[in-house]
Amino acid sequence: MKKINITLLYIKSEEKTILISKIKPSKTLDCTRPYCPEPVFRTRIELDKMKSGEILDVLADDPAAKEDIKSLVKRVGHELLELESQGSRFRFIIRKT
Amino acid sequence: MNRKKKKILYVVTSGTESPERAYAPFILATTAVAMDIDATIYFLIKGVTLIKKGEAEKIKMGSFPNLKEVIDQAIAAGVKLEVCEQSCKLLGLERGGFIDAAEIVGAATLNDRLLDADAVLTF
Repeated sequence: MKKINITLLYIKSEEKTILISKIKPSKTLDCTRPYCPEPVFRTRIELDKMKSGEILDVLADDPAAKEDIKSLVKRVGHELLELESQGSRFRFIIRKT
Repeated sequence: MNRKKKKILYVVTSGTESPERAYAPFILATTAVAMDIDATIYFLIKGVTLIKKGEAEKIKMGSFPNLKEVIDQAIAAGVKLEVCEQSCKLLGLERGGFIDAAEIVGAATLNDRLLDADAVLTF
């Protein structure tokens, strides 16, 4: 599988590990507000529009989204490059295979 | 991806008498399709009342959308609906009158689907 060139930096804050990604996502999808199963649907729809190798950045604040998006990505066969938690917000960086 | 597609079968035996049970099978099945999983919902016993034409329109729970919208979303996504028409006879209902997407099948089909599925969930 072709690897993309990624540099990731992790900065420890007082409470959380905050990831500052240098990945330039092809697209950012804001799934904050909608609840299960909408973030899953929106992520899938967006991934379908993208080309192989492109990177999708998904933001969500539904607590269910953390495991749901992970499951979606695993099932569909894409690659979850990073999962970042900041308080009640999640950020998923997904590479379309 | 050459992985064989997984299959989930949702068996629905509850109907319009318990609307709070009606949403989950459709939402789960639509989500399964989004996860590249084949999803079929099989309706029998009181479950058949949910897919009688004009019934889902009458169901709306909490802040969820109308059940009709959730069913339409599932159909559009590619969820298969199968229905045991004999259940109508059991309940003293008129046969048929199902929404167009529902395919009438029988007992052998359910047995076959059960053996064929990777997972079965009953409502």
